[in-house]
Amino acid sequence: MSESTKNRTTPLIASVCYVRHVVSEPQACARFVSDIFGLQQVADQNGEFAFRSDERYRSVSLSRDQNDGASVGIEIWDGATLEEIGKRLREHSFIVRAANSDECRRRYVYSALLAEDASGNRIDLVTRPTRSGRRYFPPRDAGIVQFQGIGLRSTDHVRDLAFWRLLGAEVTDWVGDIAYLRTDNLHHRIALYPSRRNGLLYAAFEVEALDQIMQNSYFMQENQVKIVQGPGRQSASRQIFLHVEGPDGLILSYVNGMAEMSGSPRPARQFPLTATSLCNWGSESKDVPELSALG
Amino acid sequence: MIQLKDVSYVRLGSPELEQAESFATACLGLQIAERDNKSLYLRSDERAHTLCYSEGDPRDQTVGFEVEDKGSLEVAASTLEALGHAVHAGTAQEAEQRKVKAFIGFRDPTGNHIELVVRPERSGRRYFASRDAGITGFSHIGLNSTDPLRDEKFWTQVCNARVSDRIGDIPLMRVNAIHHTIALVRAPQAGIQHINHQVESNDDVLRSFYFLNEKRVPIVFGPGRHPTSGARFLYFKGPNGMIFEYSVGVDEIDDEATHRPRQFGFEPTSFCMWGSKPAGMVLPNK
Repeated sequence: MSESTKNRTTPLIASVCYVRHVVSEPQACARFVSDIFGLQQVADQNGEFAFRSDERYRSVSLSRDQNDGASVGIEIWDGATLEEIGKRLREHSFIVRAANSDECRRRYVYSALLAEDASGNRIDLVTRPTRSGRRYFPPRDAGIVQFQGIGLRSTDHVRDLAFWRLLGAEVTDWVGDIAYLRTDNLHHRIALYPSRRNGLLYAAFEVEALDQIMQNSYFMQENQVKIVQGPGRQSASRQIFLHVEGPDGLILSYVNGMAEMSGSPRPARQFPLTATSLCNWGSESKDVPELSALG
Repeated sequence: MIQLKDVSYVRLGSPELEQAESFATACLGLQIAERDNKSLYLRSDERAHTLCYSEGDPRDQTVGFEVEDKGSLEVAASTLEALGHAVHAGTAQEAEQRKVKAFIGFRDPTGNHIELVVRPERSGRRYFASRDAGITGFSHIGLNSTDPLRDEKFWTQVCNARVSDRIGDIPLMRVNAIHHTIALVRAPQAGIQHINHQVESNDDVLRSFYFLNEKRVPIVFGPGRHPTSGARFLYFKGPNGMIFEYSVGVDEIDDEATHRPRQFGFEPTSFCMWGSKPAGMVLPNK
């Protein structure tokens, strides 16, 4: 790490700010995201379906565009930091290029570097993502507070970890080779799951309390929506979760109660890759290999 | 007025003590205090016992409530007799079986067998669970009532119970600061509808949900949350169809003088605000 970043008083990553997802049936998927999951659908452009979850202008979008439809948005502190990060990623042979104005417009950001991790996950490093002046108004009372973070599939966890470390993320805990990555005071915003393929594993949305996790759990059962895992509680982060699956295998999660990291630094803790490390209540995922302790 | 201090114990008849023991320890998670051919004493907290299975008919179900002293017991006996309830004065041997100094037995207007006890024993040794269910203690019972309006009058006018909330005509009644110690349930005959143990945290409720599912113990209601008491709950079925409940976070009524019972509608959301539906368990009827 260069001296200029070691002495920084501000972090490199400001937030995880959006997920853009490619699906074969955006309309059916959009109905799931709004009517079932409970995000606010907002006017779309370029054939994309867009959703809000908080004060952000957009936090989820769905499109059919295989070429430039899928990515996760990482808000970088400022333009100078973005330049520095771009340089660093290139030095370490990661794919990075500056987004053109059309690409920035589609992402509702001021500027962006479009990068790829070693698995080929598209990571948009962006500045000044747009916020909305109107408050978030959801279609149903799912209790969503804000977009919280993501789970990413990784086919090359060593190099992918290097990618995120260049962005200033730190591993807080391991479950087997699953890495929980911290970018701020929360235990993690990004979790890297070793997998046979790349792509977004889940996008997680914070809800108000356990009440909403459980209400949503019964709501999903009543609506015959597949619950991939949960209600459960991650052992390492103490986060309560419910992972649900919509069309095209899109997994969205309700989460609450993640541990905050405060006090003196500690080394990352190692948990074994067992069911109780992933959920200490006893919930298990049968169908999603990354979420089931199959190794 | 009969001054109930707290619920003290439940006694259940059981034709299969071994089955009861295996459920109580491997599933429910209580500690065996004492066991002989004819009875099994179980602990859930600092008390010497809070649940006793004794060889017999499972329809024999008794709830014990603690009263202040022998004087209170005598006053209670004469009050009950004056109202036409037959009162049984516990013998020394019967008191010993119950680990109390003295007691009387009677039937409430529905016919539930109730005992009033003096000085139930505590244990010097702390409670040590047979499995990590997080139990912190025996807390309340659901009691069958063939006429909730009549029985509410008995518990609140002859005894000192106060109504904390009502769902339809079903009262949840307290005898101390805890939101409810007696929950009446409309039923065609006398009996204990459920036995509640408190647990430490939400985690314990959810962990037990997965644990009991795995053990193939029928979950009959929950995991859920009562909007009345605020408690997160799980109901499941034990031997002879007896329903047990784990719950956490039962409200306390801080202001005894000004608390007014809230009226909840008789509908599913009044029993669970999360949306769980009872299965294999009858909700209190209207």
